[in-house]
Amino acid sequence: MGKFKRRPGDVVFDIINGLFFALFTLVCIFPFYYLFINTISDNELVRKGLVNFIPRGIHFENYIRLLQVNDLFTSFAITLARTILGTLLMVLASAFVGYMVTQQEMWGRSFWYRFLVITMYFNAGIIPWYLNMSMLGLTNTFWAYIIPGIVAPYNIILVKTYIESAIPLELQESASLDGASHLKIFWKIILPLSKPILATIAIFGAVGHWNSFQDSLILMQSAPKLYTLQHRLYIYLNTTSNLSALMSAGSTSGISKTVLDSALNGKVIKYTIAMVTIIPILLVYPFMQRYFEKGIMIGAVKG
Amino acid sequence: MSKDKTTNVLYYPYRIISIFLLVTLFFPGLNVARISGMIGRSTSLLTSGFSYGNLVANFGRAFKKGWVLESTMHLLNISSLIICIGIILCAVGACFSLGNRKCRFTGNLLTAVGTLAAVVSMSGIWKAYFQIAATKKPSKVEPMFQDFYYVMLILLIVLFINAVVQLILVGRPVKGEKFEMETKFKLFLMFLPFILLAFVFSYLPLWGWRYAFFDYKSGDTLSMENFVGFKWFGQLVRNKSTTRDILNVMKNTLAMSGLGIATSWLPMAFAIFLSEIRNSKFRRFVQTFTTIPNFISWVLVFAIAFCIFSTDGFISSLMVNLGIWTEGKNFLMSGSHTWLKMLLWGLWKGLGWSAIIYIAGISGIDQQLYEAATVDGAGRFQKMWHVTVPGLMPTFYVLLLMAVAGILSNGMEQYMVFENSSNTAQIMVLDLYVYKMGIVKGAIPLSTVVGMLKSVVSVTLLWIANSISKLLRGETIV
Repeated sequence: MGKFKRRPGDVVFDIINGLFFALFTLVCIFPFYYLFINTISDNELVRKGLVNFIPRGIHFENYIRLLQVNDLFTSFAITLARTILGTLLMVLASAFVGYMVTQQEMWGRSFWYRFLVITMYFNAGIIPWYLNMSMLGLTNTFWAYIIPGIVAPYNIILVKTYIESAIPLELQESASLDGASHLKIFWKIILPLSKPILATIAIFGAVGHWNSFQDSLILMQSAPKLYTLQHRLYIYLNTTSNLSALMSAGSTSGISKTVLDSALNGKVIKYTIAMVTIIPILLVYPFMQRYFEKGIMIGAVKG
Repeated sequence: MSKDKTTNVLYYPYRIISIFLLVTLFFPGLNVARISGMIGRSTSLLTSGFSYGNLVANFGRAFKKGWVLESTMHLLNISSLIICIGIILCAVGACFSLGNRKCRFTGNLLTAVGTLAAVVSMSGIWKAYFQIAATKKPSKVEPMFQDFYYVMLILLIVLFINAVVQLILVGRPVKGEKFEMETKFKLFLMFLPFILLAFVFSYLPLWGWRYAFFDYKSGDTLSMENFVGFKWFGQLVRNKSTTRDILNVMKNTLAMSGLGIATSWLPMAFAIFLSEIRNSKFRRFVQTFTTIPNFISWVLVFAIAFCIFSTDGFISSLMVNLGIWTEGKNFLMSGSHTWLKMLLWGLWKGLGWSAIIYIAGISGIDQQLYEAATVDGAGRFQKMWHVTVPGLMPTFYVLLLMAVAGILSNGMEQYMVFENSSNTAQIMVLDLYVYKMGIVKGAIPLSTVVGMLKSVVSVTLLWIANSISKLLRGETIV
């Protein structure tokens, strides 16, 4: 910070500091790299533990073979569907509710706004939540992934704050004078103008949906078809822990025999599935980084 | 004018009954269509009406053996469906009652039609009940009649009469009159669905706290017979093994949250030292790649841990290949230093991300402060300590207070994925314990008690943290 003369002590500090950050960054990246090279290297070498830093005998057969695992594909589709649908509905609802709570005319506005926001600070606990979901008949249905997430109080606060600070009230007023209804103002003015904040909450929502594990674990106990990808990965990671048992059993935990009979071994299966689950995040990340960072910053400003 | 007054007064019961009936659709306990013990206890009227598959989920054998006719269940299903639709129409009608004469007229019409259809369909349930009661195998089919049936019937009839009276009082709208409603109500009605969603998914679970006072096993009904008062609360202190479990769980929870709080200055330090790097490209690079782990789930973090630390993971294969170890070691299966390992995984995942807020904070610090410090002869570290750190302190306090308020809530995903037979005693935190006890072992009342106490303590802590913040900084955190 600022200009100053570099003394020897500074140079030493800079070097140590730089080294530390280089090392920490390496610790953050290397596991992903290691995982990746082990999925594309020769499976026999991987089994012997000989692929540590450089990929050897590159091939992509493991990924192709994974396509044959039906329940993995189902989980992928389910997770993709909930990510898209869940995020879309959440963003639209947050935008609409965020707009609604800025409307001073609304009957009981501040009461209802508090009614929504206060839900962030308490929860009944996981068991009452589960009993409630089963009472509503949502357990073992796809909608259990979507409907409860539609009203997201935190995102509503973000949108409300954004509308109040970034969209001039005169714009709404003049549109209103021209005879535009609230819905029309929402659709034609609010929605297009709040794109930056909507993109931010969409990204966070999508990552949340993609990473969702707990709701699948608790609510889908008798509907394995609806397991999310993370849940599926969790099952694979655990059931194939004992590799020899798996090999002798021939086929367990839904991994089809064909896959096992091939040169794939348990370790590579796990690595590849993990990679398939990570890749979408890694692909999206560079484009979305600025939104991620914006997200945490807006979060710092309270609503 | 008095006509208008009567209308307004009559509208209050009208709206209340409509909303009440709408809510009852979601409550399995008030499901008038549950005329047989074989219909699931968690089946609400809405489910009975809209999901035939759910309604007859347990009837496969009964149909095959001829105990229950399929036509009976179809009748029940269709009756429930019409009642649901009728009640939804009433609710829409009640919404319309906030508008002008044309709105009110339409609303009354909808309610009258809806209640009429519902009342007629109630007889379908009546009929289905008698068909079920005539079964050859009452011990299996368990015919039953819900007392709430009469309540619902009376309410529907009252609502019907009310709607008809309103129809007469309000009268036909003049020709050419338009649907109009005051803006405040119009806005409210647009908002209403979201209020209902929040109510159903955030407030309604609180109703589940009643399980804490009953002797309940999955599938039982709650009645005064199995009301046990504060028995389960007492169990926490009286039952030795439960107490031991709870104490151990609390130790783990507080230890791991405590470690988290004790290291909560790390993101700030990370940000300060990162901003000391003058090469902006390198800085950017570090920031980008240290943030990535935050966006992968705990399951994936475990997959990463697995590929590095398991028996045939990176470390083991490296050591074996170098000839240092004779065979691979599985670090994940060891029970030592569990708390520390969990802390380190937490830092690996979250440090870079948590630092971002401080990095932004640093760029917001007035540059003149640094210049003034330089003039005063402050060195690099003095500036960091006397300018940057105080500038970041407000943010730090807020996050610290939030962390203290959340001391009991460390979530369960991290601990669940890393848990195994050798570390379970050290890794069991409150959230995971409640999950295991309630969902896996089925001890619903006891786990509800624990969850309930946790919620109450958390809210209290948050309130205290907020008050402290108000007192010290004149600003609230929530």
